[in-house]
Amino acid sequence: MLDRLGAMIGDAAADFADIRYEIKRETDVTFAGRELRNIGANGTDGFVIRVLKDGGFASATVTKESDVPRALELALEAAETLVGAGGKRTELAAVPVTRTEVVPDLVEDPARVPMDEKLAVTRACNDLMLAQPEIGTTNLSYREVDRTKYYVNTEGSAVSERIVTTNIVGEAIAKRGSLVQNMRVAIGGADGFHTLRGREDVFVERATLAGRLLDAEPVRGGTYDVILSPMLAGVFTHEAFGHFSEADIIEDNPSLRAKMSLGAKLGSEAVTITADSTVPGQIGFYRYDDEGVEVRPVTLMDRGVLTGRLHSRRTAAAFGEPVSGHAVAEDMRYEPIIRMGTIFIEPGAKSFEELLRELGDGLYLVDGKGGQTSGENFTFGAGYGFHVRGGRLGGMIRDINIMGNLFSTLASIEAVGDDLELSERGGCGKGQLNIKSALGGPHVLVRHMVVGGV
Amino acid sequence: MRKLLEIAARSADQAEVFGIRYDSGSLLMRNGTPTDVSASIQSGYALRLLRDGRIGTAYTKNLLDRDQLVKNALAGLEGGVAAGFTFPGPTALPTKPEPDGAIASMGFRELERRGREVLDALRGRVAGQIDVYAGRGVSEITVVNTSGLDVRDAGANMVLYAALLFPNTESSVHRFRVSTSPEGFPRNELDELVALYEAGLPEVDVESGRMKVLFTPDTLYTLLWRLSAGISGKSFHDGVSPLIGRIGEKVISEKITYGGDPTDPCEPDRRFFDDEGSPTARRAFFDRGVFTGPVLNLDYAAKLGMRPTGNGFRKGDEPVASLPSPSIDSAFLAEGDSGLEAMVASMDRGVIVLGVLGAHSGNILNGDYSVGLDPGYFVRDGRIVGRVRDGMVAGNAYETMRAVAAVEDVAHRSPMGGRYPAILFDDVSVSARK
Repeated sequence: MLDRLGAMIGDAAADFADIRYEIKRETDVTFAGRELRNIGANGTDGFVIRVLKDGGFASATVTKESDVPRALELALEAAETLVGAGGKRTELAAVPVTRTEVVPDLVEDPARVPMDEKLAVTRACNDLMLAQPEIGTTNLSYREVDRTKYYVNTEGSAVSERIVTTNIVGEAIAKRGSLVQNMRVAIGGADGFHTLRGREDVFVERATLAGRLLDAEPVRGGTYDVILSPMLAGVFTHEAFGHFSEADIIEDNPSLRAKMSLGAKLGSEAVTITADSTVPGQIGFYRYDDEGVEVRPVTLMDRGVLTGRLHSRRTAAAFGEPVSGHAVAEDMRYEPIIRMGTIFIEPGAKSFEELLRELGDGLYLVDGKGGQTSGENFTFGAGYGFHVRGGRLGGMIRDINIMGNLFSTLASIEAVGDDLELSERGGCGKGQLNIKSALGGPHVLVRHMVVGGV
Repeated sequence: MRKLLEIAARSADQAEVFGIRYDSGSLLMRNGTPTDVSASIQSGYALRLLRDGRIGTAYTKNLLDRDQLVKNALAGLEGGVAAGFTFPGPTALPTKPEPDGAIASMGFRELERRGREVLDALRGRVAGQIDVYAGRGVSEITVVNTSGLDVRDAGANMVLYAALLFPNTESSVHRFRVSTSPEGFPRNELDELVALYEAGLPEVDVESGRMKVLFTPDTLYTLLWRLSAGISGKSFHDGVSPLIGRIGEKVISEKITYGGDPTDPCEPDRRFFDDEGSPTARRAFFDRGVFTGPVLNLDYAAKLGMRPTGNGFRKGDEPVASLPSPSIDSAFLAEGDSGLEAMVASMDRGVIVLGVLGAHSGNILNGDYSVGLDPGYFVRDGRIVGRVRDGMVAGNAYETMRAVAAVEDVAHRSPMGGRYPAILFDDVSVSARK
């Protein structure tokens, strides 16, 4: 396959060209309540072509092999338009020529697990949730995404890698009268089906929490001191900071780029942040990005000081910084963009009890419920939380969303816990869905956060 | 597609093939400079088989092996997913003109020229960054089934988008235009955009509290997503909609009529059939505040013992990979009788929501929302004071929709889909730093 791909771009009238062919197989088993809603496996494929000509860099994606020549024409026309219009000039950072085939180290290859067994495991988890008090219904899916990517460029690199992610994800929905509350659940990983076995306790716990939310009090809007749970700290790290570490987010905004200069003191001493897609088995794991560059861990912030950034070959050259292997595409429909992979605040030294005492009065907010960022402003939702009074956990609260400014919030992180938890699912929607955008962290104490509420 | 249908029909009581092809190109100018140009030619095929009251589904983007696709669907059919519906037969549908060839043939240089026209009209008039996007797309959707249905829709759109970023931020005000023929922005729209930008230049701290809140057309999706979740046939079937048992009741303000109309001649994606081949029509699911019934596709209509509403659409960025679900397409909110300026002038103290962050977060099914203002303008004594620093608005969409103070007399197309007027609400919670 790699040789065939090489032949497709070998005669491209460009300074550089690359092509990625991808075969994607998805398996889905979905329940809505007790009803099986879908079961099946599907396979598809497609091509992504990029060209660099006279400094113009452009891409085209096509489904059919017969359209590859047309894709090359379109990409060349696009690159020439960029140059002719005085647009952005691109250079690609030099990287070693790589020729390798990466076979994943799977403990239990999901491709060899019969569909009946996938159905049985999912059904068992679903039934457990439905059996908990006040659960009206569920939405629960087994999702297996099995991608084999073949990457070739005109510099001589030829890389193939198979990436397999397995998840059981969904929600338990509790209902009392017209009041409806939900609680998300997700388990999974990148090293095989075994990560889904023996996890029944997770589904019981999440469904029980959904029922408890019916009696929780909606939070009152205002400014609070808060402790974020590891998952919520992960959402915060991803939304509030991580996107700014993606060079393509800031490269065309001169003021933000200036603020995010390496060496700038942006956070408190308590904060060290790492992006590491090499954690074995973790949902964000991969070896080579979609430019054939080996991914490496990057310390983005060291005790409050900005120390690293995530790059594609294009942005690494534009910033004069080292490549990092973070140009990743959702699949064969997209050109790669910079994605942060697994991001987390490094653990500190304080126990959760010590953090509670340090907080005094405020809120303990638990679990992420989606987030969004726009420039230096961010927002994210919490699954639930608790009042904290005098360092002690109080009543349960719900309907919690937080908003803040990256720079002021990073400086407001006062203390970091000694624990570390990483997510078992991804799902960042920066233009393309990235199911490998894992996150996590320790418990984190933040002062003065704006919480929206009734 | 028809050959695939023929093969599939041999193994099932009924079969349906949905096919889509799209061809698009786009050009983005960031900070006044062309930065990204890309093209995409994509296709996809989805197969559904019905046999003995069960359904099997499969899809592929590249139809290389028809037999394998049928095998995949048959394997799903063996899984035991129940289906109580049948595929519809042929219906006489209105026709629409073929897409404008000027869009199909539009090259990148033409996109760049049209983007630059917008840029030139704005350059030098604002202190902040100007971003412009120009895109074009043509698409073709076909649905065929063994009941004799064979329908096709082809469309073409051009999109222009201009955003003015506030200094040192990514927060912006913007204008969006989608058309079925190559068109530019009317000059007055860009003039209004500049005036709107200037009004938001001062940043202000606002004291938290309950106040009037005006949602602009571009931000109303925050509330409408929540209403749409509640009126979905799936939520009814699953027993989790807050509206169960309330058909025929006035559940929100009589000033609100909300529904979908894919047949609207103004719709750039005008469609006379949904993704299951059912005829579409103008349907209000809230008619002057009265809930008229759930949104239904073939599946949930059968499950609930009701008639399909022509709302079976394959959503998401890869239509063939998702099953038809009950969804409102070409959403509309009926216009009211208030001018926008008069609505703002009537606000003693309040916030205009021009952009939101986090609309997808929270308990959507229950109607709860809590979104960041990105940006939101503070209004005092009927005049815009400036842009709110770190503000949020929160509430329950049903409660908010019961407190409608005024509805604008003009509807505007939103980049999030749909055509809506601005709506002014009383007594909404605003949280901020003070």
